[in-house]
Amino acid sequence: MSSLFGGGGSSSSGGLNPERVEMALTEMDTVTDLFNRMVSSCQNKCIARYAEADLSKGEAVCIDRCVSKYHEVYGKVGDKLKVRGEQKS
Amino acid sequence: MDFTGLSNAEQAHINKLVEKRQFQGFLTMYGKLVEKCFNTCCNDFTSKSLSSKEEQCVNNCAEKFMKHSERVSARFAEMNAEIMSGQKNMSG
Repeated sequence: MSSLFGGGGSSSSGGLNPERVEMALTEMDTVTDLFNRMVSSCQNKCIARYAEADLSKGEAVCIDRCVSKYHEVYGKVGDKLKVRGEQKS
Repeated sequence: MDFTGLSNAEQAHINKLVEKRQFQGFLTMYGKLVEKCFNTCCNDFTSKSLSSKEEQCVNNCAEKFMKHSERVSARFAEMNAEIMSGQKNMSG
């Protein structure tokens, strides 16, 4: 995930580089956003009823597959956007 | 996410901001969950208070969501670990 934003340069000085902090926070926000959307989408796709408090076996399996597919889509869309970006420049 | 390339001052600063964002994230999630469970479970407006059926539905909704969220979290962490180790192998 950090390859999206590139490296930040050397670290061991005790200073505070606002740009690096900004990058790290942006990365964190991106991952958090991905996670939240994944939870929401997989809930819509996999959980239809609230008659019980526990996840059924079917729902559990659906969730595992949903997470896997979501990740794949994330990668594929990212690749497409990268190619697009390279073509433009 | 790799925070190891940052200085101590930056780490401390980031930790504070991360905590604040996590708290905000929690509050947002709470609001969305309430909305979801309300929309799913409460369809009978002949009374001011929740019927026992509605109450049970809301309980189930909240618990189920938390279990769902935990499961997604576990799978997500596994995927990320795979990706990270894949990246390290490529760059190392």
